Amino acid sequence: MTEPERRPEPRLVGGLWCTDVLACLDDYVAGTLSPELAAQARAHLAGCDWCARFGGRYAATVRAVRERLGAEEAPPEVSRRILARLGRER
Amino acid sequence: MLAAVAAGDTAACNELVRRHQGAVWRTCRALTASDQAAEDAMQETFLAACRGAAGWRGEGSVRAWLLGLARRQAARTWRRRKGEPVAPVPLHELGSLAGWGRMEDPEAFVEALQDRRRLWAAMDRLAPADREVIVLRDLEQLTGPEAAQALGIDLSALKSRLHRARLRLMAELQADLRHD
Repeated sequence: MTEPERRPEPRLVGGLWCTDVLACLDDYVAGTLSPELAAQARAHLAGCDWCARFGGRYAATVRAVRERLGAEEAPPEVSRRILARLGRER
Repeated sequence: MLAAVAAGDTAACNELVRRHQGAVWRTCRALTASDQAAEDAMQETFLAACRGAAGWRGEGSVRAWLLGLARRQAARTWRRRKGEPVAPVPLHELGSLAGWGRMEDPEAFVEALQDRRRLWAAMDRLAPADREVIVLRDLEQLTGPEAAQALGIDLSALKSRLHRARLRLMAELQADLRHD
């Protein structure tokens, strides 16, 4: 497998460096950035394909944990054994 | 309902299990990385909850309280490893491992995220401290204050730990894809 292309250097786009965007991605995804910083982050992501791609993967990861793993229920036999034990030991 | 559980009402205790078994199972499974250990931790969690319901102080949600109990039970199955580096890895280095600044194949990554087994496997490779913060915030969606209380840390530490843990999870998925 060939090594993926690497970005030469972090860039200043929309008033933020790529490193600034990396540091605030969590707040950006959660929608908890200040309006000013959110506008700068949007401008950066619109002009920096590297950060836009990574930001998309970051958001997709958060969503996948919630939706894919969060949908899992306890196996029915596990629940049955727990209820049986609670009945015996309480 | 907890008042009834505390009073020894078996039906209320069963209802507590029925309502919260999914969240407690997912938390125990994620933190122990083992089905058997998860079942053991889950049993102990509900036993502790039903026996200790009278001690619940009514702070936060019942679910957050239960997940805090689950975390403590699950933590008995692992110990924090000694000799781990204490110096934090710079964020941009963690980001690089997670694919930041690399033109990785975005479709392969998104496909990997849809594969529940692959996602669990990546979670299982994380350190317990990373797993627990992802479980409480992203999987079970506790509020920041609830998760911070369950972990015994302040909000800013929680926020930093969560961001780094997500990057490590992405790094595990990226590493997994490179092995394909």
